[in-house]
Amino acid sequence: MRSGSALSSNMQPIIEFKNVGKTYPGEKTPAVHDVTFSVAPGEFVCLIGASGGGKTTTLKMIAGLEEPTAGTITKPDVVAMSFQLGALFPWLTVFENVALGLRSRNMPEETIVRTVDHQLRLVNMFEFKSKYPVDLSGGQRQRIGIARALAVDPAVLLLDEPFSALDVMTTAELHDDLVRIWRETKKTIVMVSHLVEEAVSLADRVILIRGGSIQEIFKIDLAYPRREQEAAFAHDVQKIRRAFFAKL
Amino acid sequence: MRQQSRHVHSAHHHFMLSYPVSLAQRFYTIVLGPLAIVALVYLIARYFPFAPEHAGETVSFPMILIASLETSARLAVAYVLAVIVAIPLAILATRNSTAESILLPVFDILESVPILALFPVIIMLFINFNSLNGAAIFILFLSMLWNIVFTLVGGLKIIPQDIVSAAHIFGIRGVAFYRRVILPAIVPQLVTGSILAVAQGWNLIIVAEVLRTYIPGGTAAQDLFGVGSILVDAAANSQTEVFIQAVFVMVVIIGLFNFFVWQKLLRYAQRFRFE
Repeated sequence: MRSGSALSSNMQPIIEFKNVGKTYPGEKTPAVHDVTFSVAPGEFVCLIGASGGGKTTTLKMIAGLEEPTAGTITKPDVVAMSFQLGALFPWLTVFENVALGLRSRNMPEETIVRTVDHQLRLVNMFEFKSKYPVDLSGGQRQRIGIARALAVDPAVLLLDEPFSALDVMTTAELHDDLVRIWRETKKTIVMVSHLVEEAVSLADRVILIRGGSIQEIFKIDLAYPRREQEAAFAHDVQKIRRAFFAKL
Repeated sequence: MRQQSRHVHSAHHHFMLSYPVSLAQRFYTIVLGPLAIVALVYLIARYFPFAPEHAGETVSFPMILIASLETSARLAVAYVLAVIVAIPLAILATRNSTAESILLPVFDILESVPILALFPVIIMLFINFNSLNGAAIFILFLSMLWNIVFTLVGGLKIIPQDIVSAAHIFGIRGVAFYRRVILPAIVPQLVTGSILAVAQGWNLIIVAEVLRTYIPGGTAAQDLFGVGSILVDAAANSQTEVFIQAVFVMVVIIGLFNFFVWQKLLRYAQRFRFE
């Protein structure tokens, strides 16, 4: 069983934020202020916090969708992202959605077919390859979104509240699948969530962001699969919740 | 590893793409295919030897059919021009908030200018180029343009930010972004706008083909051969039978087009809608 943080003292971080700030044009208050943290290769980090706290802005800066206005960010060149509602292109089949990043890289058709088929099998969606997004459920769209991100073989996989619009059963199923995919692919994952339980059930470390700054970083040292009924799980959840509500 | 700061901007890569036939490409084929046929028929009809040369001359049913094709061709050319101009205008107007705040009010003003008030000026301009057909097509083009522009603006504004972000992350940038994201994304609005625009074109066809009213000392010879001018002539000369036949042909053409093109495209465009 894999558990705890993959970060060790001699390991070079794959992502490093140094005093990063982001102020959007026309805004006086920074969305992110003086944020410093690092992520080790293969680590699963979850950013949690209230809406408008700066977690999605942080994720977007890792993705290269937003530029920092202060500080420096070190990150790998190939970063891919899965979005809240999947962000699949409705006019493309499942296969073409997953092939999106590969076609941009001008890969040979044979490589594209092999890669897409592999990713679709990984997320248990191979038989849906000819369907369109409109034919899929919310959970299935999320699987395709993750397959699309993994298809470009990113050094870091970013997940922006991927399960927030799904029902409890689908979410639990996808949590298990995500942990399995993470362990199989050994990818570094940074996920944004607003649910403490979700963060504790998935991540090596949980970074609590509030008011644009990091409030506290928690190491989750539990074995997988993590179950909410376990005392250690409940203990970690309570610890983060206390910090979360401490200064509200 | 890449270091990014306020001083360092990531490089933007542009890729040429090999891309299998997509729904979007099929849509544009569906639209352009019938247009090509209409254009071909137009070229034949243009030189058809049975066009009436004098007002009041009895018009045969085959002649009405040919005239309706010529009218359809005129509408088709105007429609294609309107689409070609409307897409970049709509994209330009929604590019950023500054462009939007400047261009949308300008479009509003231009749209509110009554087209028929411009018609005499347009005709005088086109007479200089000896192209009365050009004047009719231009007026039809103007009548269609704003319907398409404003519908497309609505479509462009509802493209989810996550879709744009996904395109960016997966390397779809530059021309490919417009070809692979923007054009497919606005297909539903393009269909809706097109239906409104072509309907508006049919509304104006009578005016656009009867040019004599707008030319000083104009005669019936300056009218354009088409179902619109046949209707006006038939009404003026109490040719009830010709009038009914012309209306019948026009209704059948509009009905067929609606059934075989617009209805199919409306259903087909559902695939392109964001939920």
